[in-house]
Amino acid sequence: MKIGARQRRYELREGLLLLAALAVVSLPVPAPAAQDCRFCHDEPLYRVDFNHSIHAGNGCTSCHVGITNTEKHRDGKEKPAPVDCGSCHQEIAKEYRNNFHYIQEDFRCSDCHRNIHAIRKDGNKNVKLAIIEKCTECHGNADYTTSGHGEAVMKGNQDAAACSDCHGLHNTRVFHTSLEQYPAEAREFYTQKCKRCHADSAMMKRNNLSDKMVAYYEGTYHGKVQELGYPAPVAGCGDCHTKHNILPKDDPRSSIHPDNLEKNCGRCHTGFHTRFLSYQAHPDYTDRAKYPALYVTFLFMGALLIGTLAFFWVHTILWWRKVYWENDRMEREGIVPHSVVAAGEGLQQVERFSAKYRIMHVLLVLSFFTLVLTGFPLKYAGTEWAGTITRLWGGAHMAGLFHRGAAFLLIVGMTVVSIESLRFLFPKGEGRKGWLGRLLGPDSLFPNMKDLQDFKGMIRWFFNKSEPPKFDRWTYWEKFDFLAVFWGMFAIGGSGILLWKPEWSSYLVPGWVMNIAALVHSEEALLAALFIFTIHFFNTHFIPNKFPMDRLIFTGTYRLAELKEQRPLEYERLMAEGRLEFMKREHPSIPLKLISATFGLSSLLLGLFLTVLILWSVLFG
Amino acid sequence: MTLMSRKNLIRFVMPAALMLTLALVACGKPQEPAPPWKVIDASTLRALMASDQDLLVFNTMSEIECLDHRIPGSKCLACEEIEKDVAVLPADKNRVIVFYCESAGCYRSCRGAGAAVKAGYTQVHVLDRGMPAWKQAGYSMESIERIPRGSIPSIRASALKQMLAERKDFLLVDLRSEQSYKEGHIEGTVNFPLYRLSRNYAEIPLDRTLVLIDDRGFRTFLAGSYLEMKGYRVLRLFGGMQAWQEMQAAK
Repeated sequence: MKIGARQRRYELREGLLLLAALAVVSLPVPAPAAQDCRFCHDEPLYRVDFNHSIHAGNGCTSCHVGITNTEKHRDGKEKPAPVDCGSCHQEIAKEYRNNFHYIQEDFRCSDCHRNIHAIRKDGNKNVKLAIIEKCTECHGNADYTTSGHGEAVMKGNQDAAACSDCHGLHNTRVFHTSLEQYPAEAREFYTQKCKRCHADSAMMKRNNLSDKMVAYYEGTYHGKVQELGYPAPVAGCGDCHTKHNILPKDDPRSSIHPDNLEKNCGRCHTGFHTRFLSYQAHPDYTDRAKYPALYVTFLFMGALLIGTLAFFWVHTILWWRKVYWENDRMEREGIVPHSVVAAGEGLQQVERFSAKYRIMHVLLVLSFFTLVLTGFPLKYAGTEWAGTITRLWGGAHMAGLFHRGAAFLLIVGMTVVSIESLRFLFPKGEGRKGWLGRLLGPDSLFPNMKDLQDFKGMIRWFFNKSEPPKFDRWTYWEKFDFLAVFWGMFAIGGSGILLWKPEWSSYLVPGWVMNIAALVHSEEALLAALFIFTIHFFNTHFIPNKFPMDRLIFTGTYRLAELKEQRPLEYERLMAEGRLEFMKREHPSIPLKLISATFGLSSLLLGLFLTVLILWSVLFG
Repeated sequence: MTLMSRKNLIRFVMPAALMLTLALVACGKPQEPAPPWKVIDASTLRALMASDQDLLVFNTMSEIECLDHRIPGSKCLACEEIEKDVAVLPADKNRVIVFYCESAGCYRSCRGAGAAVKAGYTQVHVLDRGMPAWKQAGYSMESIERIPRGSIPSIRASALKQMLAERKDFLLVDLRSEQSYKEGHIEGTVNFPLYRLSRNYAEIPLDRTLVLIDDRGFRTFLAGSYLEMKGYRVLRLFGGMQAWQEMQAAK
């Protein structure tokens, strides 16, 4: 016990000694005090100014490290290490590693912060002005100093952009604009810089400017392609407003002054008529006084969209309700439709769509999906899915090529249909004789009085007031599907062709028509997509007695019993005219049925998926 | 009937598939030939320099630029000097040599490396993306003779052309290599290649303002600061010869 205690004491004493010795050895050589430094470095800068500077709290050796012995230093045998401002200013040092001035010209902190020993914190200092003065020591940019931003900063406006607001201060990026090369990345970068301030409502209000310009720009083709994040060569802010010489449009020196517009637009667009210049780069659709034509188009397209969709959605819902309730009744009572339990003659397949029309429908489906999948990412450029889909196409440029390719296919299809329609109306041998009868007859897709009666009959049926009407070859909703595409082709196809090559279009119509064309194209596309994906899909495929799909358009034939049930008047006509015999076909083969189901169901699913994306973007985008 | 159509199908599908495969093969990008030197990244070079004291690391910029800032422990050897006479490299052809320069494209370091490989050196390396990569990694630099940065105004090609037309009294100094100068230069320029400017700058007359011209406008700033330190008044051509040639081509 005793021994143990002594031993412990011994250990303690030894330990303390060791600790003291270690402390002495590891103690740093005392760094020279500021007084010692100033003994030699006795300029007023170090003796006076430094003591009032922001760094006064630090001794000389806080920055000038590495001097262990003042005598050695005095004799020139020991030099201080290079000053590392980053040991305190860590964040800035990290940013500065990628700074153009450091990478390319090896600028160090003190190359700009030259009066580092006398630098003071001055709350009243105009920082923006100081930055401009510093940058223009080398970059004598006369364009900037006479620009709107430059002038405003000189007048003391703290909102206006100084050099660093666009180019960054310690993180100046390398874009090699000095080579007059203007890569897409730079355009994206600087456009974001403009948007940051010009979409700031409070700042724009303070300066009597509109905060909506960014939103209006983002509503145009330029803005949407830019926002997609896969910039094809489209105009960012600086492409029209120039980089430094940014002036209002009534200033003759401004790039957007009417006299300079031809040259300005001409830097990207070539071969246009001067009418081209009336295109509005960021118009406000709701400004009735300034853009009356756009305003009217905006209202009309909105009304058309809402009106058409509302009408057919109500129609579809009522229809679905009736069929579902009716099926429920039949199920309870154990009734099975005749067409389902058909036997004998009723099983015979009859043709409704010949191979030509089935192929045309498949081509129409492919072209429509291509157009939607390439067009809608542009329409909702700000969404995540738009970026993903555009990336799958291989960028906005590739998506644009596919869009035009699909449009071409559609135009060809449209031409074929037009020729067929004319041939139907004016068949060989008969000429014009009886064309009106054919136009309004039962085989025509043109609406007639019977369609009005059928519509009334359907509504009565929806409300359990009567039996469903008896249809002939085409129902009124099928005729609408057909004519809606026809009408849509004029609106969407016409505007699309104008927008295809706007420079050439300027020889036909002035530039502001391009604004209208863009609006019509976009809104009509929304109408077409939603109509097909909700109304056509539901009327033709998702209605309970067809669910999940009606393969008729792909296999081309259905049972005679189905013809009798769905088109009783057509059946009667075919029987009376003795034509039914020629329409009998073999049962579709298993491969055809498999391919039809696969293609049909994938199209339906894709359409529904796109509907969710589109509606999500409309409601929450 | 079905047999026939199946035969037709095969007859159609097989050549189509073959053509598609061929098209895909043809579309594949041709492989770029590997350079005859090895490429190493900044962190590998740093580790190598710390462990191997014998490692030879050459900065292929001009002496002026190299002494101003270089990777610590590296040596200054302009690529023009190597191309002129590979004897400036060590005699042992199996020594590990690393070249680097100021550009991420490694233009000058590759020229040096190419000359070394051609002369039979077996362990030639180039620093991947050059000094920019070293700096961006946050590694330190060393300065032997640091040049105080001046305020060197730059003038655009169009302004220079106008000044030439007005016969302003200044001297155009082309800092590019003798070879580039021979291939084409602005009329009335004198050639003082940057790689040996530290040895012959005194031959430039002091009585006139100089306009410095380089390849792309990146190197005249430091050269200008150097000459300003030596007592010259200096301007520089914005964008270098490239900007001048683009202006000429545009007109």
